[in-house]
Amino acid sequence: MKLLEIKNLHASVAGKQILKGINLTINAGEVHAIMGPNGAGKSTLSAVITGHPMYEVSEGEILLNGKDLLSMNPEERAREGVFLSFQYPAEIPGVSMVNFMRTALNEKRKYHNLPQLSATEFLRLMREKKAMLAMGDKFANRAVNEGFSGGEKKKNEIFQMAMLQPVLQILDETDSGLDIDALRIVADGVNKLKSQDNASIVITHYQRLLDYIVPDFVHVLADGKIVETGTKDLALYLEEKGYVAYN
Amino acid sequence: MCEEIVLKANESRDIVIVNEPNVRLRISQEEGSQLRLHIIDWQSADNDVHIEQVASNCVTEIYQVAYLKDNQKVTTHTNVRHLVGGGVSKQVLRFVLSEHAKGDFLGTLYIAKDAQKSCAEQSNRNLLLDDTATMRTRPQLEIYADDVQATHGATTGQLDENALFYMQQRGISRQAAERMLIVAFLSEAIETIRNEEQKEKLLNTIDSIL
Repeated sequence: MKLLEIKNLHASVAGKQILKGINLTINAGEVHAIMGPNGAGKSTLSAVITGHPMYEVSEGEILLNGKDLLSMNPEERAREGVFLSFQYPAEIPGVSMVNFMRTALNEKRKYHNLPQLSATEFLRLMREKKAMLAMGDKFANRAVNEGFSGGEKKKNEIFQMAMLQPVLQILDETDSGLDIDALRIVADGVNKLKSQDNASIVITHYQRLLDYIVPDFVHVLADGKIVETGTKDLALYLEEKGYVAYN
Repeated sequence: MCEEIVLKANESRDIVIVNEPNVRLRISQEEGSQLRLHIIDWQSADNDVHIEQVASNCVTEIYQVAYLKDNQKVTTHTNVRHLVGGGVSKQVLRFVLSEHAKGDFLGTLYIAKDAQKSCAEQSNRNLLLDDTATMRTRPQLEIYADDVQATHGATTGQLDENALFYMQQRGISRQAAERMLIVAFLSEAIETIRNEEQKEKLLNTIDSIL
């Protein structure tokens, strides 16, 4: 079943054309890795899917379960089930993780005409997901990402993903800044969340993360287009040969 | 309101002033006294606060919160005077302005020549929610002693767009995200109110006027 369809997507930032005709179809249950040299447009693709206001789409469409994502604002896309694990998660001083997560979850539930979670239900859910990612107890009372180490921030992204249960999860350079232990915990979390109803896009420079999160397809993005598609062997090949052939 | 107050030795006093249009306070602090003053405005006001530490080991805390819109104006002048050493002063001022609102802060901090080992901190941070609001801030430090700790900082800026997008990406509406950031910004100064009931009431009121 088609979960995400990107057709002939063109997008620019500050007047500069970055995406030059992306075509990509992702079925439910699949993991797609997107690799490519610096500046190829990998992060632009995730920004455009999530609706970042800096990016302008000049052509093409993005459908999530058949719905037109480009006509929705960022929060509607999120409530429809698009989740971005940010490369650089924002710090939000003064807003506690509990308050942040409860607001996010309840806004999503309201959108889907579901009742608000009670305090008890919410805390139970937090505890369960925290345990899954081996996160400390104090973290819930801290302000969102404030003073978190690089590894804690990435774990927190996966924690939020577990709480919100998206249908499309985009991991943007989730491996950057992670030591091997943190990488394993984060990858375990992602694998546990994998199901036949959701799909993942894993954006990465390196093959390393793909040892843990095994992709069904690997795409090479270069100069705003997908120039090659293969299986996980393509990632191994790229690790060895680099991106020279695509520059 | 116009008041002259003397805090006796070791006396501790909390004062919370909400939406007083005209505040004139003259406070004199004796040995070891502690003052915690909150001035909270969401209407126009003119605040003038003059505090003298006339003996050692005094603590002076001033917290100002102003949330203004629609041409409202708040002027706040604090004059904190360390006449004798060994005292502590802390000032936290937060202004949030929109729709042609104006904020004006003049913060005078005086540390006398013999007031050694004084410790003074002044922080003024301001949020402008649109292009029509203006903030003027003037920290004025007069320090004549050479063995003191004095810090001050003033910043004026907008809501953090990165944080807003991050919150939207989690499904929180733009409007709700802005509210959460503003409440968080102002809370730092309000959380220090010791009377829990009063604090909760104020936080709720502020939440409802946003």
